[in-house]
Amino acid sequence: MTMVEFFSFLPYGKYAFYVWLAYGVSALTIITLFVTARRNHLNTLSSLSNKYSRIK
Amino acid sequence: MWKWIQRQASPKVFYQTCNRLVPWFFWPFITLLIVGLYWSLVISPADYQQGDGYRIIFIHVPSAILSMMVYAVMAIAGGIGLIWQIKMAEVVAKVSAPIGAGFTVIALATGAIWGKPMWGAWWVWDARLTSELVLLFLYLAYMSLNSAFDNPRTAAKSSSILAIVGLINLPIIHYSVKWWNTLHQGYSVGTGGIKDPNMQIALALMFVASILLYALLVSIKARTEVFIREQNSRWVEEEVRSLMS
Repeated sequence: MTMVEFFSFLPYGKYAFYVWLAYGVSALTIITLFVTARRNHLNTLSSLSNKYSRIK
Repeated sequence: MWKWIQRQASPKVFYQTCNRLVPWFFWPFITLLIVGLYWSLVISPADYQQGDGYRIIFIHVPSAILSMMVYAVMAIAGGIGLIWQIKMAEVVAKVSAPIGAGFTVIALATGAIWGKPMWGAWWVWDARLTSELVLLFLYLAYMSLNSAFDNPRTAAKSSSILAIVGLINLPIIHYSVKWWNTLHQGYSVGTGGIKDPNMQIALALMFVASILLYALLVSIKARTEVFIREQNSRWVEEEVRSLMS
């Protein structure tokens, strides 16, 4: 059984695998952008905060 | 308006503007995304030729347009940084690169996934696909050149020149389907390619949602970049302290 057949129970039948894969990959890319932005911000905040407490 | 733009050259003012803009981009983005997805996946009818497989267009086309628009913004902001020495323009250029690369990855990936059922191949070395792949490499080159310098000003100067030289790729991508005999189809938007009004509305909604997504990510990422660049100024120290407490 191919992936295309396996996922054909979803909406869009024989195209379900391709359509949902495309939407899934896009969602994953966008979520990665948000997660890395958040992580960078928190890392920057903590390293700057350390720096400031060393100075004083 | 012009005065307001000029005031954004100050890092503190720019930071505060970004802070204020985040919710104004976030909520319209979420709303348009939900309505747009509903319109794309439920309301729009199946295509007469491609059945339901065509629904990939609603993410493929907006992300492909954004991949080029973001590149143009990045190069223009880089140019403004070079000519007028405006540091905040350099910040916009720098944070745009990973976002633009993300849109390019989405355009290439959804294109490949669409190509398999319609063309029978994930990838062909067609002019449109190859020039879009070159765009991804331009983004990656910009990002690695930008991170290769310790001084953010020097980094911005070299990478902005790279971005401006790379602008030549944008008309090549856009006209590739006209200049060469490509497997990739010609223009669908504005040429009568997409005729169904519901499909047009869905595409428009997803396009505006993508622009809002870009603006949202820029205002989120720019705040971090301003902190790094302005870490020695008093207001950043106070802001970081108040955020950490």
